[in-house]
Amino acid sequence: MERSNQNEKLATNTQNNSVNGHFESVKKVRSRTSGTPGETVSRASPLMESWKEERTRSVEDNETSLPSIAAAYSTILSGLGEDPLRQGLLKTPWRAATAMQYFTKGYQEKIIDILNDAIFDEDHDEMVIVKDIDMFSMCEHHLVPIFGRVHIGYLPNKRVLGLSKLARIVEIYSRRLQVQERLTKQIAVAITEALQPAGVGVVIEATHMCMVMRGVQKMNSKTVTSTMLGVFREDPKTRDEFLTLIRS
Amino acid sequence: MEYRAYTGMNGLGNSKLVTDLQCLKEFTELSVNSKKAAVQRNQETSRKESEDESRLPVLEAAYATILRGIGEDTDRQGLLRTPARAAKAMQFLTKGYHESVYDILNDAIFDEDHDEMVIVKDIDMFSLCEHHLVPFFGKVHIGYLPNKKVVGLSKLLHDWLDMCPTVQERLTKQIATAISEALQPTGVVVIIEAVHMCMIMRGVQKINSQTVTSTMLGIFREDHKTREEFLALVKSK
Repeated sequence: MERSNQNEKLATNTQNNSVNGHFESVKKVRSRTSGTPGETVSRASPLMESWKEERTRSVEDNETSLPSIAAAYSTILSGLGEDPLRQGLLKTPWRAATAMQYFTKGYQEKIIDILNDAIFDEDHDEMVIVKDIDMFSMCEHHLVPIFGRVHIGYLPNKRVLGLSKLARIVEIYSRRLQVQERLTKQIAVAITEALQPAGVGVVIEATHMCMVMRGVQKMNSKTVTSTMLGVFREDPKTRDEFLTLIRS
Repeated sequence: MEYRAYTGMNGLGNSKLVTDLQCLKEFTELSVNSKKAAVQRNQETSRKESEDESRLPVLEAAYATILRGIGEDTDRQGLLRTPARAAKAMQFLTKGYHESVYDILNDAIFDEDHDEMVIVKDIDMFSLCEHHLVPFFGKVHIGYLPNKKVVGLSKLLHDWLDMCPTVQERLTKQIATAISEALQPTGVVVIIEAVHMCMIMRGVQKINSQTVTSTMLGIFREDHKTREEFLALVKSK
């Protein structure tokens, strides 16, 4: 019920926005979910589909699957040649399983739940930036941590978002098995969908333990990805202002 | 007598080793218990590379179970080969089991008439927390006062003990003990400053905290001026 209301509101608003390739595909996805026949849908990119899928892991699911994850960790420890019965490792399978569920708790949460209350009408049309948001994620290819910082900026269009909600959006998407490029885009798209701002910019600088601890083993390397939508993409001066402010 | 028994057990039938150990009696008394533990550990947990290959399928199946357990779709493109990659990554991160300390250090011990402190600092270290199987990483600073024998410096940088699930206190002690067994120096000190992802990413979530552990053996334990000299040199840029 709340979903269809959201659909109507967003459908109206997206029509009012200047269309760039991104907003169009947003509109197309929405029309698919409200049930219209899908002739406009075929262009929706796989990225948008994966954003749209609301993961539905619940707290009960966590409890049910904990024993099998713990058993899997126990198998891993013995497969590595360790003695799972030595004192330091006795409860490790359970601790590791709980830790892994915590690192993927983004699957239990929905954007809609955290955003609904904190969108406010404000007559502010200057850039709003929240920078240096610590981010911790898991590499989906090696199941090894990724950590870094996220910088978010947006140009409001009469609606602003509670500042901590930006950090919560980062949390929801980063506490999953992720690829940094996808994470950046998901954060930008979520803010766009919720606020319909004039533009959004997201920059993530992260260190990937899969590159540092194994493989090429480059200690000091960082990966930087960014997504610029709306006026941040079209206007180089706005983009420069954003990038300068996050560097300072 | 117990030293002879040890050398028999691990194949180091080196009488010079035994004599030197007996000369440094006070020093070795301090480290005898950790030495015993280190020898036992080296024997019990050796893992041959050939076994790694045969164990991969089991590890892969376990990782696939974990992925399903956390609610992921194992058929999506990004996750198709993840169990295999994660299993290989975990084997790499625990390769400390492959190598025995004696194999690595024994080739690079040289006789030098040097009795001033030797310090190798800011050695990057990565390891796995044995309680949560999550990485912890940081810097290791090693100092020793040679007693006519020095070790090739790159051997100190070798990550022979890092890569096992371990506890930071034990890792510090293992490194110190390994060096003292191989070189019989006048003193050894190892300091590790590390950041634990299990504290940062979960639990208390304290992002800037660091854990510092140290092991001082021999003259570094007894003489505070020597210890201060080491600490001053490690802190300086």
